[in-house]
Amino acid sequence: MRTINSDRIFIILIYVFLIVMSFMMLYPFWNSVVISFNTGTDTALGGITFWPREFTLENYKVVFQDKRMMSGFLISVLRTVIGTAISITCTAIFAYGMSKKHLIGRKYFMIMCIITMYFSGGLIPAYLINRELGLMDSFWVMVIPNIISVWNMIIFRTFFLELPEGLEESAKIDGCGNWRTFFSIVVPISGPVIATLSLFAAVWHWNDWFTASIYITSEHLMPIQTLLQQILSSNIMSEQMMQTNAAAQGHMASMQNVTTKSLTMSTMLVATIPILLIYPFLQKYFTKGVMIGSMKE
Amino acid sequence: MEINKKSMFLILALMLSMSVLFSACSKGDEASNQNKVVDQGDAGNFILGETPLNFSFYGNYDWYTMNPWGQDPATKWIQENKKVTVEAIQSGGTALQKFNTMIASGKLPDVIWGDRGTDVEKLRMAGKLVPLDAYLDKYPNLKKWAGDKTLNMLRSEDGKLYQFPNWYTKRPMGNGGYAINNKIYKDLGSPKLETFDDLYSYLTLVKEKYPKVVPFEVGLSGQGIDFLYAGMSEDRTVGHLMNRAIPDGNVLKSLFSDPVYRESMVFANKLFKEKLITQDAITQTRDQVKEKINKGMVAIYGDFTTTVMGTEANSILKAKDPEDGYTMIWPFHKEGVDPKKVWVNEFDSLGWNVSVITTAAKNPEGIFAYLDWLTGEEGERIIFWGPEGTYWKGTSESGAPLYTETYANDVEERTKLMAIWDTFQWAGNTTFIDESKSVNEMNLPEDKRDWATVSQTNVAWKTSFDATEFGNINPLPDSDEGIIMQQIADIADQVRAKALFAKDEQEVIALLDKAEQDAQNAGYEKLLKFQTQKWQENIKKINE
Amino acid sequence: MKKDSMAAVMSHKDRKKSFWVRYIAQIDLQLMVIPALVLIFIFSYLPMYGVLMSFQDYDIFGGFFHSPWVGFKHFKMFFDSPDFWNVMRNTIVISFLRLLIGFPAPIILAIILNEVAHIRFKKVIQTISYLPHFLSWVIVSGLAMSILATENGSLNILLEKFNLINEPINFLSIPNYFWGILISTGVWKEIGFSAIIYIAAIAGINPEVYEAASIDGATRLKKIMYITIPGITGVIIIFMILAVGDILSAGFEDILLLAKNPVLQDVSDVIDTYVYRVGIKNSRFSYAAAVGLFKSIISIALLTIANAVARKIGRSLW
Repeated sequence: MRTINSDRIFIILIYVFLIVMSFMMLYPFWNSVVISFNTGTDTALGGITFWPREFTLENYKVVFQDKRMMSGFLISVLRTVIGTAISITCTAIFAYGMSKKHLIGRKYFMIMCIITMYFSGGLIPAYLINRELGLMDSFWVMVIPNIISVWNMIIFRTFFLELPEGLEESAKIDGCGNWRTFFSIVVPISGPVIATLSLFAAVWHWNDWFTASIYITSEHLMPIQTLLQQILSSNIMSEQMMQTNAAAQGHMASMQNVTTKSLTMSTMLVATIPILLIYPFLQKYFTKGVMIGSMKE
Repeated sequence: MEINKKSMFLILALMLSMSVLFSACSKGDEASNQNKVVDQGDAGNFILGETPLNFSFYGNYDWYTMNPWGQDPATKWIQENKKVTVEAIQSGGTALQKFNTMIASGKLPDVIWGDRGTDVEKLRMAGKLVPLDAYLDKYPNLKKWAGDKTLNMLRSEDGKLYQFPNWYTKRPMGNGGYAINNKIYKDLGSPKLETFDDLYSYLTLVKEKYPKVVPFEVGLSGQGIDFLYAGMSEDRTVGHLMNRAIPDGNVLKSLFSDPVYRESMVFANKLFKEKLITQDAITQTRDQVKEKINKGMVAIYGDFTTTVMGTEANSILKAKDPEDGYTMIWPFHKEGVDPKKVWVNEFDSLGWNVSVITTAAKNPEGIFAYLDWLTGEEGERIIFWGPEGTYWKGTSESGAPLYTETYANDVEERTKLMAIWDTFQWAGNTTFIDESKSVNEMNLPEDKRDWATVSQTNVAWKTSFDATEFGNINPLPDSDEGIIMQQIADIADQVRAKALFAKDEQEVIALLDKAEQDAQNAGYEKLLKFQTQKWQENIKKINE
Repeated sequence: MKKDSMAAVMSHKDRKKSFWVRYIAQIDLQLMVIPALVLIFIFSYLPMYGVLMSFQDYDIFGGFFHSPWVGFKHFKMFFDSPDFWNVMRNTIVISFLRLLIGFPAPIILAIILNEVAHIRFKKVIQTISYLPHFLSWVIVSGLAMSILATENGSLNILLEKFNLINEPINFLSIPNYFWGILISTGVWKEIGFSAIIYIAAIAGINPEVYEAASIDGATRLKKIMYITIPGITGVIIIFMILAVGDILSAGFEDILLLAKNPVLQDVSDVIDTYVYRVGIKNSRFSYAAAVGLFKSIISIALLTIANAVARKIGRSLW
């Protein structure tokens, strides 16, 4: 009886903690939503918390009227879907190979991978190489250089190493090669890790604005995050511009008054919400027993 | 363990050497395209509007995004009538990296628009810029409006002109100053506000009567604090603080040991300690400042953008209560200082930044012709107020566009358009724009006049110091002096903030003593010598 | 046990065969890694000649082949700089605080979420907790500034209401508070996102083990201690090793945006912000590259040590 009581207190504590925590995390987001539905001039007076004071759809109208936003949105979706699919497939295969203890050169390959996590030649050599490869101003520059993620490989490998050995043994007895074992046995039971790393890769692709701002010049290939970044940096820069002269100060201030906080928020939300929707969709892969269930089949 | 380390370094070394080999191969063919002959621009006359002109344009700032060309009335007009099309190369929020990759790959845009100094000098030394001298006499506007003195100051060490200035001026300009909250001022009996003593007693009074109001709002990064230095003595300007060099006779001296600077920091500390200055002075964001002034929650507001931020705040407050709003006042000064010699703004005839034409441009003369047209009367009218017919119709004798009814009535749309046009304003002609604005303002009845223009003509421009002689006195950042300057800048930023938070006057002095010592150890003297030399050269150029 | 010894015998036999025979025999396995290694070579190793920049006075127009060599000049300058010790101390202290607080936080969240039986509630909480990851630091810092402000800051108003303080505290200008603010905003922003990987790991634990423990009358705490945590140790250790390798990366954008007051520089300046301020902003690329290389070398060394320790427990990266 005592155990049940302590469990009950434990559970109550957990629920209270989670509710308080999620309020703290939801509020800033909710506040951004509210501000995006409030008129810009009124927002500048502050004090907007849970509900818009002067409701408007104007901020969203401005965003959706901008042609760059719509094509940016499409490019972002394309690169996220294609980039994630290719990257996760290739990285998972790579990791599976690396998880095999009898792979010749395994240790050296691993060291070779880890070095790349810490040593990088910087932007300029990478830029020159991408140019030699003909990737300038191409959609593929956002996909190809990022196919293999060493970090994801390490995570995949860790999970593969934890798989029960019996599984693969039986596959081998059935005469499966490494590739068939991987696709028909390992992949189906690796739901949680594939879902997690796909999510990470998709989020990375969606949020990466830097690649495009360096390599892409055509407006129709710009992902939406690069456009959002332009707006955000125009806001933050003026605050760091104290050192410039009076003429610059005056001009930047007047250029800025148009992009209000409300407009920034609506742009941010349009650029963020699509990626947020992926997680709830993937959550079913995190349910317990997925793996065991498939094992019994 | 042992084997691991060894093999790791082996692999690393191998990879390094291989990649060097690889890159050596790919570098070879590049060098040949780089040695393009510098175009001196004697290709014959170019007539804008007859020959189509296309060029690429890169604005070298993180915050700068050029709007799409031809999508708004002004650039559409230019495209149709002048046959000019500009292709934007955006910084995408990473100007520095973008700029470097463009240089490293040898693919420069036709025009680069950015700050004077380091980047321009580097490009010039590498022979990547087209000198403009050959075009100066062919196209009249730049020479006419900027004048020879300004152009001489813009010349590089080799005596040639590479930079096309933006917002250059022959007359004072600026946006900074103190603005008082009308309602609070009236409520408190409209006391005299001239000297620092007046300021202090007024702020104390505000604090007492309006505990919720910020007595003195100093804006972003505490800019208003620097005004205290400007008022402590005659002919002290905020520019001294930015250069961290105080002129004394014909040498530049240390900021930290300067008695006037010390006095201003002691005063700032006193105001801050007694909570008369906003306590978030250094950390606050633009949104926070805006919120306070737009709500009328400050008694005195002062920073470098007072006329810009104040306009919005003033109209919001006036809309609620015509008695409310802000008024810009003459800067405060220490007792005994001549108020006519207090400078809270400064301008230089060179303006804000420049455009340079690179050797990648196919038609440098055409580009110059366009910029020259842009900086002339017609160009400025189109890019600032749009094509004739909507916001203006006809011109005054001096060429100023005359505003239409739509200009006054269609504020929202106009503000949006003018902000878009601002991103195409690469050759701003301050003298022309400012004179045109005041021509129109003077036609309006007093209560309809633009708050910013009134504040500027009455106060801000009259308290703006001509700092042309101090232009370009700072070293390149990767030179020896530049490295020192970076350290001095760090020391100065820190001591300014620390002095504000110090508990008493003695601590302020002690902090400044320490800063002086640190600065000297970092090589301050060497830097000051360098700056002095540049300054003296400037004076010679101006007096030529 | 049996299997192990069998494998040992096998591999011993294998070794006698020539390398190529063994290699051809596992060619299908090798084909799983070769394409990836080629990509890594092209996109990570070919550009690596860039590190040579740290031994040059790099001139962007000359490129790597026409810039003068200066040996260890930039390294020396960094070590001799008056800021060096302060920067190192801050970097290490902030990283340790992150390891101590920021590292376990998502693990704890994942474990707690695992205890929630109500599936829908759990999903909602999971989704909410990962939202802050998507707000950029610019927006988060703007928010932090307004919450922590002296004038009208929500935290100060709250504290005053409960009579905990007499007058507002200037949170963003007092060095003592900075580390706390930095670490807690970091945890707030990333806890939910980082927890996902641990949630995935917990999902891999066989539910039958829990059932068996329940039958034995184990409390929830006991189940956490003896089933959940051991079940995800492998993942935790790998992340721990990687985190140790990252000790010299204590943060960048967050610090830059939260430590706006120069008064805080004594506690906020870390290697990455220092490099940005002194090197990159002033176009001193070689200097920035030298500090970067110093960081990389230390990181690899730390990683090697962490890996050696982990190997003792039976788990390692290589």
